[in-house]
Amino acid sequence: MTEATSQGAQQLRQAAANQSMRSAPDLSTALPALEVDDIPQQGTPVISFDRVSKVYPAQPNRPALENISLQIYPGEFVFLVGHSGSGKSTLVRLIIRELRPSSGTITIANEDLGSMRNWRVPYLRRNIGCVFQDFKLLPNKTVYENVAFALEVIGKKRNVIRTQVPEVLRLVGLQDKLDKLPDQLSGGEAQRVSIARAIVNRPPLLVCDEPTGNLDPQTSRGIMDLLERINRTGTTVLVATHDREMVDNMRRRVIALERGHLTRDQQRGVYGFDV
Amino acid sequence: MSSFVYFFKQSLQGFARNLSTTLGSIITIFLSLFIIGVFLVGALVVDNIVKSVENEVSITAYIADDARQSDIDATEEYIQGLEGVSSVTFTTKEEALENFRNMSSNAAIVDELGGNPLPASINVELSDPQLVQQVANEIESSELFAKIADEENPADSLKYGQRTVERLFSVTNYIRYVGLALIILLVFISLVFINNTIRLAIMARRKEIAIMRLVGASNGFIRGPFLMEGALHAVIGALLAAGCIELLRQFALPRLQQSLAFLPISIDGSTFLLIYLVLLVAGLIIGLIGSAFAMRRYLKV
Repeated sequence: MTEATSQGAQQLRQAAANQSMRSAPDLSTALPALEVDDIPQQGTPVISFDRVSKVYPAQPNRPALENISLQIYPGEFVFLVGHSGSGKSTLVRLIIRELRPSSGTITIANEDLGSMRNWRVPYLRRNIGCVFQDFKLLPNKTVYENVAFALEVIGKKRNVIRTQVPEVLRLVGLQDKLDKLPDQLSGGEAQRVSIARAIVNRPPLLVCDEPTGNLDPQTSRGIMDLLERINRTGTTVLVATHDREMVDNMRRRVIALERGHLTRDQQRGVYGFDV
Repeated sequence: MSSFVYFFKQSLQGFARNLSTTLGSIITIFLSLFIIGVFLVGALVVDNIVKSVENEVSITAYIADDARQSDIDATEEYIQGLEGVSSVTFTTKEEALENFRNMSSNAAIVDELGGNPLPASINVELSDPQLVQQVANEIESSELFAKIADEENPADSLKYGQRTVERLFSVTNYIRYVGLALIILLVFISLVFINNTIRLAIMARRKEIAIMRLVGASNGFIRGPFLMEGALHAVIGALLAAGCIELLRQFALPRLQQSLAFLPISIDGSTFLLIYLVLLVAGLIIGLIGSAFAMRRYLKV
């Protein structure tokens, strides 16, 4: 796990260093090409669910998740698909311990979330980048400040912030928009900022909840490219989505949820639901 | 240390963002602390006056003209041994006459009187004026005093302003309790106000706090700016209050002293310094507790 982290971080840094003179479109070619199709499912899982159920108090008879067991290994790129209300968001919120499961155990990077003390939770979240459908950017801060904020609040030194933030914004192709405010950006750009914020601390795990839910297909593809590039640097990526086209095009591991049950887990899967 | 600077900057930003509520909270704390301070000063003044009045309280025991000197000495010794008595002095008939002559505006009256009608007396000064009743009772019931008492009934030979003393003590105690209750009320009001102000500040920055938690800011880091803001409100309020009391002390107190020359209301500077310190510390505690309470429910993980 730690190995993967440092490896990923190093590659990210390397990549960013290589990028400094190049423009955004060249990015993917410049990154070290890891053979993504051959990610072995071995080592310690980054995410491990063991018979996890979640029942919301408001709906005691209809569990949001029931008896979910799954493992996600370092370096994987996983789609989590399902209709609205199938439990995707609940699963994501369980991973970042915004929620606790009603039963079962969740292990993130060898740490049991059930027995984790409350004061440890912030340190867990520093190791998980999060991207949401609604971007969650601060409207009164510029692009640069929004990304820097994520580092400020975990107590990073100012000189670290000053080098790391432009680097990661270059990686997502927003090096020209540092001083723009979020409402001056397009949806795709705003989502790139939120991705930049999620990965600026170089977390080994990136979790996205409907990252393209608000975006048109063209822009969505750009975002998915970006996520794939990030995955290629060694970061484990989990994307909850109901974007059929995307899932079918990328042919990565697909985990399907249906009314709170895990119905399918296949390598190089497709979206597979009839809409 | 760097995060301390960050907290400070953030709390200053908080000031600018909610200027009106910030001012409201500062003014509330200022007024509360100011009134508390004035009350403290007032309590000290009243205490001084009460003490000086209380110190006037003494017992005079009148002695018959035909009392034997040995009995008088024994009684004096007995009284000296009682609890609450600080000193005992004996006044002869001649001295009593002399005192009367000095006090009375018309000294000639004394010469008109043929003999000396004034009795000799024992004067008892008390170390604790609140014990006057107890001491008087003990003297009254002692056989030694009964032998030398001026009147048939020993109780009639004791003079200590019974009723007046009782009333004085009940009034001063009452003033103390009311003052304490008022101070507690004022502290409570300022707590509520700080709590409210910080809560508004938090509401205004809810989104920011949600994002801070998302990217893994520790609770202490999220709490810091708000606690700092509450503490700053309180400190500014306390300083204002101290400044106003200082002004009062410089300008109002001398005038009061002038118009009430017969009452001792002078208080020395170190006491005032202590009061300012108390106000500052009380303000800080109020500010920190108020904002900590406001934070609590927003920091659940």
